[in-house]
Order: sequence, then C-alpha cells, then structure tokens
Amino acid sequence: MAGALLIWIVLLGPVITLLTHLSGSAIASSLTAPGALDPLIVSAESGGITLAVLLLVCTPLAWMLARGTLPFPRIWEAGVLCSLLLPPLVIGLLLIFMVGPYTPFGELIGHFNLSATNTFLALVIAQVYESAPYYVLGAQAAFGAVDPRLEQQAALLGDRPSRVFRRVTLPLAAPGLAMAMAVAWARAMGAFGAVVVIAYHPFGLPLQIWTTLQTTGLASALPFALVLLVIALPLPLAAYIWSARAQGRRRG
Amino acid sequence: MLKADVEVDRREFTLRATIEVAPGQRLALFGPSGAGKTTLLEAIAGLVQPARGTITLAGQVLTSTVRPAVSVPAWSRQVGLLRQDPGLFPHLSVRDNLAYARSVDPAGPELAELAAALGIDGLLKAMPARLSGGQQHRVALGRLLLARCRALLLDEPYSGLDAALRRSLTALVVAMVADRGVPAVLVAHELADAQAFAHRMAVLDRGTMLQVGGPDEVVRRPASRRVAELVGYLGFVPVTEGPAAGLTAGIHPDRVVTGADAARGVVLTGTLAACRPSGAGWEADLALDGAAVTVRLAERPVTDGGQLTVTATDPPLFGPDGAAAAPGRAPDTPAAGSPSP
Repeated sequence: MAGALLIWIVLLGPVITLLTHLSGSAIASSLTAPGALDPLIVSAESGGITLAVLLLVCTPLAWMLARGTLPFPRIWEAGVLCSLLLPPLVIGLLLIFMVGPYTPFGELIGHFNLSATNTFLALVIAQVYESAPYYVLGAQAAFGAVDPRLEQQAALLGDRPSRVFRRVTLPLAAPGLAMAMAVAWARAMGAFGAVVVIAYHPFGLPLQIWTTLQTTGLASALPFALVLLVIALPLPLAAYIWSARAQGRRRG
Repeated sequence: MLKADVEVDRREFTLRATIEVAPGQRLALFGPSGAGKTTLLEAIAGLVQPARGTITLAGQVLTSTVRPAVSVPAWSRQVGLLRQDPGLFPHLSVRDNLAYARSVDPAGPELAELAAALGIDGLLKAMPARLSGGQQHRVALGRLLLARCRALLLDEPYSGLDAALRRSLTALVVAMVADRGVPAVLVAHELADAQAFAHRMAVLDRGTMLQVGGPDEVVRRPASRRVAELVGYLGFVPVTEGPAAGLTAGIHPDRVVTGADAARGVVLTGTLAACRPSGAGWEADLALDGAAVTVRLAERPVTDGGQLTVTATDPPLFGPDGAAAAPGRAPDTPAAGSPSP
C-alpha cells in the first residue's frame, strides 16, 4: 500500500511540480500577451480534425482487424505496430520524403495550392501519424471484446448488419472506443517529434512551449504547459469516467 | 412445417441430415458432442451455408443450392435460436432486451402479458447482469417469442442449469411451442433432456442421421448397435441358443429384472463383479463369458455363490454388421440362452 502510494506520487511528480511552480501573475502575463492563445486554437483545431480523420479512416480498419475478416491478420497487425514503434522524429523525417514538396504527393496537392510542409495540413498529417496506431490498437481491442454471438443474436432477431453494428457492436465497444480516442487525442495534442520536422509552422502548443523555452526561458514556458494539460486532459478524463460508468452499469 | 435436407461440409466429416418438423411439433437431435447437431441448427438459422440441399419453412425456401440458388439472410428468416449462453444484450435493460425486435412495442400489452407468463414482470427495469441464470433464460425465451419467430431452435440451452430449473424451463418451452404452434428443434446430448422435450427424436453421430423415431422407440428399438450404444446400452452379449443364435443382444441397464424368466427375454448368468447404489436402486456389473454388462435393479442383488442371474427383457438384437436383426421379437418366442453356467 505505502509502496504503491509512493510510486503513484512519483509518477504524478511532473504534474505536482507544474502546479507548485505556477503563479497566478505568471499565467496571466503569459496568456494575455498578444497572440498567446493562437497556439491553443491551432492545437485544438488540428487535434479535432486529427480525431475526425482517425474516427473515419481507422475505425473500419480496427473493426476488420478485430473480426479477423482480413487475410493474413498478423501482417496487418505488424504494420500497425510498426508505425507505433517508429520514433516520432523518424516519422517526421520520413514524412518529408513522402509528402514533401518535391514528391509525387507534394506535386499533386501543389496543383491545388496546398503544401504538406509547414502548413496546417502538415500539422494534421504529423499528428495523424503519431496518434493513429494508438487509436487503431485501442479500437481493435474494444471491438474484439464484443461477443460475436451477441451480434449473431441481434441478426437472428431481425437486424441487418448495419443495424447490428449500430444497436449492438457500437454501444458495446463504445467505452473502449472512447478510451482509444482519449489516448489518441492526448497523443495528438502532445505530438512534437514529427511536428517539429514537418510542421514547424503554424505553432501548436508543444512547439510554442519549445520555442518559448528556447527564447525566453523556463518560467515563461510553464504556463503553456499548463494550457496544454488543460486542453489535453479533460477529454481523456471524461472518457475514462464515462467508460467506467458504462461498464459499471452493465455489471449491474 | 420446417423441412431441411442438407449436406454441410465440416473439417472432420460431412453432415448429412434430413428433418421435418410440423408446426407445434418438437424434434430432438440427440447425439454425442461433435456429431454435427449444432451445425444443423446453424444451417437452419442461416449462420452456416450448406454445401448442398434445401431448407424450407412454412412453404418459403430459406436455403437452396439447386438453381436458382436461394440463401435468405439470417436477419430475415425469423428463426429463433437459444443457446446455452442466453445472449442478452448487457447494455440494455430486460424490457429493452425483450423489445429488441423492431416489431415489438416496449410498452405494449403483449410484452407485459408474456413477461408475466414467464415470471419476469418484476425485472423489466433490471440490467441482465443482475439476473440469475434461470431468469436470463426466461428473458431470452421471451425475447424470441416476442420477435414472432416462425421456428424455435434450442442448442442445449439449459444444460448448464440444475435439474429442477432445467425441467421447469423445458416445460415452459413446451407450453410456449404448443401455444404458438411453431416447429421446435432441440439439440441435446443428454438422453433424458431429449426425451423430456420431444415428440420425435433423431439420433446423429459423426454427421450421419442413424435413426429417427419416437423418444421411446429409439431407445427400445435402436436401429443399430451404434444407436444402442448412444442411447445407453452398456452391454452386448452374443446369443448362443434359440432362433436368435448368432445374433448379439443389447443389454440396457434399466431393462433387466432379477432372476431367470426365459419367456420375457434373454437370461444372463454371470459373476457379480461390483455392486453400488444408484438412485433408489442398485447398479451391478456382471462378468459373463467374454462379455460384461451393467444392470440396474430395484433391490440389492443377492448372489448365489458369486453368481447372479438376471433377465434382459425383450432386448434388441443385432446382426454381425451391427444393424438391428429383427424389428421386434414377440415375448413368447423361446428365449435365447446366454452364456450359462
């Protein structure tokens, strides 16, 4: 018990430190400077779009992985793991070679006056790559925990597959999906390694912290760290609480 | 009328089965684990695609592999399937589970009446996790009945429950099937469960239907030695005398009386190898020359110098190929002597 408490406090150490080192005046002066809140808006917007992309693109993939409908399932899983294991900085470097201005993709979107380096699009791409594997693996586990016999029973009671998905699969997987989204959101908010290479501009919060640290020092970077926590944490916490309650209800 | 005449390829064997169940009738598929019983139910429910054959329900072709091929998807078959796991949706209350099928009005009188008939009317607001196993099965049954399924398939639904609960739930299903007039098929690997439920019984072994008949007939007149083994015959004794000489008599432990009564069947005399209480009577292992049988007797057997004589009443006889040798043997034909001292 005491040991567990100690470990818990040590793990929470950075958060506790942050709270003890912040003064109200420092927060106020940092956040009221002209343009100080721009990174917050950039992060929230890009994070929201990242989440939407993951939801639309990766949810079906996770479902197929969980149901084993894909041939050679191990190879598919290995691919997802591969992107999880790549260091973010390396992802950033490779993305330059993949979607940079002198690549086929870069030239293609160039026709539409778009660019995938140092733009909002680049930021979203980097965040998607950093957070997608966490979402896919979490969502796969969430779908995998749904008993296929319940889906079968729903079909026998007259529901076509799309209705089974909506009335049984999705509600049963929802707590796990919410947790996967929360983790992906936190990853996207904190994405730095890939972002610093491919999307130095526009500044999201992590880069804001980094540049502030570089230019004006520790003390002025801390308030942005708090802002990052404040926008990155509520969603995961809410998802955690909601999913715990949903599971509690099911246990009766 | 539910009719199925199908072949389903499985890894170990091909299931070949033909069944016909009239509305309100109850058929039991009886056989050991892995005989293909569940596969047949799943083919009827539309969860498994047969390699060949047709399935029709109330005149509608559900599956046909003959051109024009038909395969009605599971969700529009209106075939109810109950398994050992009641399969209640854990995120829905009992009421919402009962009203899952779209045709059901969650607040309507039909749901309330059925819930009362099933004894679950006090549980409508509860979540499934709070219910006992028997209550969950009642809800699952109610959910199927409210969905107006046109056939009821039961895959050993109550095999995990205790005997009293199993009996009451089986009686409930029987009453509901009679009330609704739907054909019902039960899969069972316990003979007593199959007999308690069914009008007719089909014996299935390794994908082959060995015999179809009344629940008493299959036990009293097994069509082959294999059927006899499956329905509980525990000894097979070569007959040495009389018109049946050369055949083998199947000895069912429950169809044996103490003493020699050649007019009623085959007289067996052997050494009492073991004797133990069984239910309200006694179970004895008897060692004959070259054969061993187990018999259940009302009274504790009294041996005569270690020897015990019993009469197997009207035993089925099997030829060397294992097929039943005679459809029935009149009790007054001379009893075939058995290995006798």
